[in-house]
Amino acid sequence: MYDAKLDFLRELGNIGTGHATTALSQMLQGKLFQLVVPDARMLPFEEAADFIGGLEQVVAGIFVAVSGDVSGHMAFILPIDSAMTLVRLLTSGQNEELDEMALSALQEMGNIMITSYLNALASMTDMVFAPSVPGIAIDMAGAVWQSVLAGAQAADEVTIIRTDFYADGSAIEGHIIFLPDEEDFVKIARVMGLEDM
Amino acid sequence: MPKKVLITDDTAFMRMTLKNVIEKNGFEVVGEAGDGEEAIAKYKELQPDLVTMDITMPKMDGITAIKEIMKIDPNAKIVVCSAMGQKPMVIEALNAGAKDFLVKPFDAERVVEALRKAAP
Repeated sequence: MYDAKLDFLRELGNIGTGHATTALSQMLQGKLFQLVVPDARMLPFEEAADFIGGLEQVVAGIFVAVSGDVSGHMAFILPIDSAMTLVRLLTSGQNEELDEMALSALQEMGNIMITSYLNALASMTDMVFAPSVPGIAIDMAGAVWQSVLAGAQAADEVTIIRTDFYADGSAIEGHIIFLPDEEDFVKIARVMGLEDM
Repeated sequence: MPKKVLITDDTAFMRMTLKNVIEKNGFEVVGEAGDGEEAIAKYKELQPDLVTMDITMPKMDGITAIKEIMKIDPNAKIVVCSAMGQKPMVIEALNAGAKDFLVKPFDAERVVEALRKAAP
């Protein structure tokens, strides 16, 4: 049963991230991104941060709560070097530091990517996945993870869909993470014709 | 006389991007708002010919702001620029009175075309 569920989650991750990186590519005048095969896991809370790249690594995280027909949490997390590269590309090289405008650019880019991911799932399932106003944090991955999960329902295990991508030329890598609430995950599966998950 | 535009978006980066595009194409940006409440206040104050409206914003979302602005001025010309392009949201915005709905990321030409069409 788990295998089928995780398979299905990987497929969701693939579709969502495909749309998200297409959106990013459009923002960056057609820069090409390659997706790494998505990984879906069910993990205890404390192991989840490790899964997204080590607790002590400094990262930028843009995160939203999802409501509507499906509830959950979503985040776009990227190493700080990749965040800076993206800021330079988005602002035509005007921002060398993470000043207010750079943070705003990152937040908007993350928001557009996350929402494109959700738009793809929405059109596939005919359900509404409404993102909240995004938050942004620059910190060690462990701390950012806490922000992502603030308000998440207490559960022993979280279902995580992580999709990584990178761009040739300038090293940009990132993870997109979707954490649907358990009962809503079942709803998505049912709409997609997959029972008994 | 260039058409006067009020930009509404919660992120400074997107306001700057929109402002650049809009001003390069013969419009005048008369104000910027960071949420729905501010958009309503600035609409009353500045009486713009056109408004760009984000949807997901703090304090008051764009759909509510469109409804309120349409109550103040049933002839208001509002173009939505939002990442949230899901069908029910698009329908709600258009029913509330928005003239067009652009899904981010958008290209500059599409923004200009929508504004020109909304207020010829």
